Amino acid sequence: MKLLTHNLLTSHVRGVGPRGFPLRLQATEVRINPVEFNPDFVARMIPKVEWAALREAANTLQLGEVPTEPVEGYERDEAFLRKMHHVLLEVDVLEGTLQCPESGRLFPISRGIPNMLLNDDETES
Amino acid sequence: MEPGDAGLGTKGAPRFFCTAGRGLEPFLMREVRERLAATQVEYMSGKVFFITCSNLSMIKNLKSAERVFLLIKKQFPLTASSPSKGKILHEMRRLISDDPGSWLNAISLWKSLLENDAQKEKLSQSISNPLKRKVDENEIVISKKLKVEVQKNEEIQQAFPQVKQVEESALEQGDSNAGRENLQEKELEDEVEEAADAPSPAFTFRVSCRCSGTVAKVFTAQIFIHLNDVYSVLGIPLFRVPLASRTYIQMAGLRSTIAWAMASLAEIKAGALVLDPMCGLGTILLEAAKEWPNVYYVGTDVSDSQLLGAQGNVKAANLQDRIELLKVSVVDLPLPSECVDSIISDIPFGKKFKLGKDITSILQEMERVLRVGGTIVLLLSEDHRRCLQDCGESSVPQIPPGNHPADPEGKENTIPSETESSLGEASKQECLDKMPPFGSLVSVECYKVSLGKTDAFICKYKKSQAARCYLPEPHCVQSSLLAS
Repeated sequence: MKLLTHNLLTSHVRGVGPRGFPLRLQATEVRINPVEFNPDFVARMIPKVEWAALREAANTLQLGEVPTEPVEGYERDEAFLRKMHHVLLEVDVLEGTLQCPESGRLFPISRGIPNMLLNDDETES
Repeated sequence: MEPGDAGLGTKGAPRFFCTAGRGLEPFLMREVRERLAATQVEYMSGKVFFITCSNLSMIKNLKSAERVFLLIKKQFPLTASSPSKGKILHEMRRLISDDPGSWLNAISLWKSLLENDAQKEKLSQSISNPLKRKVDENEIVISKKLKVEVQKNEEIQQAFPQVKQVEESALEQGDSNAGRENLQEKELEDEVEEAADAPSPAFTFRVSCRCSGTVAKVFTAQIFIHLNDVYSVLGIPLFRVPLASRTYIQMAGLRSTIAWAMASLAEIKAGALVLDPMCGLGTILLEAAKEWPNVYYVGTDVSDSQLLGAQGNVKAANLQDRIELLKVSVVDLPLPSECVDSIISDIPFGKKFKLGKDITSILQEMERVLRVGGTIVLLLSEDHRRCLQDCGESSVPQIPPGNHPADPEGKENTIPSETESSLGEASKQECLDKMPPFGSLVSVECYKVSLGKTDAFICKYKKSQAARCYLPEPHCVQSSLLAS
């Protein structure tokens, strides 16, 4: 699971609503994969990023400082884009857990795939 | 259709034709124009004919075609006026032996195509008539001459019925060998005199069926012949393996041509987030990621075995940078509202998915996570589509179709029905669907396609405004449970 994916995920346990984001990340196995740097692609992802969640996840994984917000003109700032490229796309959590901040429910990550299936009593519908 | 149409277009550019799965012809026509800058694109009785100067590696990229051939000759069908055996055989001889120039032209074009192609493939040398099923025991090879043996289906001689286009309607991988039982074969021998400037003497042709192993390696080329009520077509297949069989897909799920066609409707733009919430083995995402690489793809499924297969596929295709997988249920997506740009999905057919509640829950959740202006493309069974129509509370104005270049010659309507794709004036047909009870989804277009044994519908929706309710509250769900 890449951090860009983690940045999208929210807990959907019943009753949790928007307080289910962001999921608390805990990793036991992480792999760094080199990914071809595509500045155009990264620049387009930047506006979708929830920065506080990304900073929290990056800190948990000890990836170094992530800026609070993209600086103006980030599209042309290659150093910035490369840093974001690394954090969002090159870090792969293979084993670990995602925890709903509201309910405490744990979702396991196994072989890089998070399992976010809920039991019947946990779902909204 | 020009009589005795030779295999040369204007300016000497070679003519080709492709077979396509039924229903995919409009996608293929669009694709050859866009990908190969093809001209004189026409659809006729199961085949798309076109002219292009593109080389083999470009042609190999066609995603909605089954097989592609270099055209040797296309002409009027053999006449059925007096179906005497002798007369028909005579006409077939003429088809092969008249105008040896077109054969030689085709061969030299074919050779130069192969020479330009970096990876020369050795083609099997047996010629297979698509109508023929049994191996003929009395074939004789004569080298240093162009000799063609044509096997003829006796049914055609007797009644000249509409010949089923078995190779594309069967949608099989591999050679066009879909079976028709009880075929009678007739063997013709014909000899074509070499022209003065003959190609290399080692070039021989033979008609046989399912030639493989050492026998198959004796020859250099394969000839494809199709005779029906509409035309007589002769061609050389460009590739041994159908294009629909992708080198980058390890474990096939949904047919790759259909998966690509669906992705082509989803308006995927660079920087988009594309979701397949019932991804199975990931075929749709693989096809989409190969074509539109600067996009973030997420595939989800509830089945461990499917996800494992998808993971293997993603790794084998080297797309793990772009495709992420999650174990998640489509009716309960752990995603915030309005975060996805496109959703493409093959809704499973069959008894596992009950009609009514399930399909509406699925569509409601998809609608929730889709951003306004986003696109949903679904592959639906007949039942699901009918269910969505029945669930509709009121009809909604359709988004008018964009301008598609009308095909000047291919006005054939092979599938009669208002909801099926027509190939005449418009290359797509909008549904007269009622709107499903998902406040903002508007039906855009719908194509009926063949999956081999069954038919299905590729349906496209767009989200026009914020949905009435994001969470499936009781009153929303109840009002949608109208299907019996």
